[in-house]
Amino acid sequence: MTPGRSVENALLAGPMVLFLLAVLGFPTVLSMIYGFSETGFQTLTAPQFSGLKNFRDVTADPAFWQAAWFSLRFGAITALLQCGLGLALAVHLAPLARAHGWTVAILIIPMIVAPAMMGLMYRLVLHEFAGPVPHYLYSWFGWSPSFLGPANVFKTVVLAETLQWTPFAFLLFLTACQSIPQDLREAAAVDGTRPWRLFWKIELPLMMPTVFVALFIRFIDGFRVFDNIYTLVGAGPGGSTTSISIYIYETFLRRGEIGKALAAAILLFVTAFVLLSVAQRLLRGRAP
Amino acid sequence: MKPRLTLRWIVFAIAAFAMNFPVLATLITAFKPPGEVSRNPSLWINAPTLENFATVLTVSDRLNVYHYLWNSTVAALIGALLPMIVAFPLAWAMVRRGTGRGVLFPLVVNLRALPLIIFAIPLYMMYSAIGLLDTRLGLGLILAVVNLPLTLMLLVNAVAEIPGEIEEAAHMDGARLLRLLTKVVLPLCRPALITTFVFGFITAWNEFLFGLMLTTRDAVPMTVGASFFFATSGGGVQWGTAAAVMIVAALPPLVLGLVMYRRISGSMVAGAVKG
Repeated sequence: MTPGRSVENALLAGPMVLFLLAVLGFPTVLSMIYGFSETGFQTLTAPQFSGLKNFRDVTADPAFWQAAWFSLRFGAITALLQCGLGLALAVHLAPLARAHGWTVAILIIPMIVAPAMMGLMYRLVLHEFAGPVPHYLYSWFGWSPSFLGPANVFKTVVLAETLQWTPFAFLLFLTACQSIPQDLREAAAVDGTRPWRLFWKIELPLMMPTVFVALFIRFIDGFRVFDNIYTLVGAGPGGSTTSISIYIYETFLRRGEIGKALAAAILLFVTAFVLLSVAQRLLRGRAP
Repeated sequence: MKPRLTLRWIVFAIAAFAMNFPVLATLITAFKPPGEVSRNPSLWINAPTLENFATVLTVSDRLNVYHYLWNSTVAALIGALLPMIVAFPLAWAMVRRGTGRGVLFPLVVNLRALPLIIFAIPLYMMYSAIGLLDTRLGLGLILAVVNLPLTLMLLVNAVAEIPGEIEEAAHMDGARLLRLLTKVVLPLCRPALITTFVFGFITAWNEFLFGLMLTTRDAVPMTVGASFFFATSGGGVQWGTAAAVMIVAALPPLVLGLVMYRRISGSMVAGAVKG
């Protein structure tokens, strides 16, 4: 490579590198400093080094572990539900989607609505007095559960997340399903293969890489959930819907425990990094 | 074959209704007169009215929706355009010369998988030190980070699809690199640029967490402004007006998204599969 070229390449990559350094590099350094310091909003400019104290505080806080457990459960359950539903819908509706493209547009509307707005909308829809869902349940069955009460709130947020993001899984699977060569299906039909068997023996195996990708993406998005839960119920009764993101937010802005919040964020970063590396190694091993 | 097709339409109708139910119910509520919502929570409107929209679109000391809309528009424009500007030259260098394939590309793409809250706190402290807190520029900058991974992936795909011969032909004419990029590569990437922009704009518009943390008054975006409206009215939420606020907030991305849904869904799939 000529020296002229390497200068050129540096110039081409330059804007991105500078941008990353400014918007992410500098804050990362700040995290490191404050994560290991004693700080409040009053002493923001004069952090006192305190070693691992913040990390001990976080790991000794039962609310942190409750939030981590909530995020894990929420991410895993919603990812499985969304991918199951999305796969079934994609395989069943693929012929319809091929003939009438607009049906896909209708089904992806929830994804274009801000999750925060969706949370607020569910607040209206599920409201005891103003919401249509309790209204119809009362008039048809004379009974309606308290959707946001301690007993049901987990199911409610899982349902809301699932209904909003099943379209994402649906879209991935629809694309995967439509890229399966049609002659494979026709050959199977000539052999007299039943549709159910066609799905298990031919379609599903071919779509398996997409299934892993979809599960992975939906798990990550569920794990880091903030917007829709925050606008629908906030931290939830007894902190029952406090995801790890909500925990860090509340620790920081509500309680002003900056060092502790940063320590939690650093722990989260390290965990996410490790999980990501492992997952990518696994996915790469499977992908063609 | 006929009954199977009918079944597909029924399944489609149920799925579409269930998944879009909150949007539908909010839309209906927005057209109910203020007094009707609590008396009649059903999906039927007794006396349709535009009153709620009139309230929302009238400036009052409690709610100035234009302010929120303007903040969201400016921040989302920065959030969509800036990543394209920094990613475009890199995308070209990456495809044609392999620059940054080893470290830069995985680094940027993996940002998509990190919980955003990790960056929110240090950014808050950095912003408060340099005066970017509660500004549209500050909000736009972090929205640009949110859009960076998908923007880079889509632009790399776009450049990779340009046949190398076209560029070589331009090189023969003695075109310099800058001219090559702006006069040849950029126009050829136009469809991808439009898709990337629209997708980035929608994502940035819909973002909530950074708006909540990094703005307080002057630069509050529409998503956060709408949630304020719920909080400040305490127990007695004006459901009709609240519904109208949500419709106004959700409308810009919905219109953009539905007009371009084929491209949007295409880029969602591309982003997922390549990542």
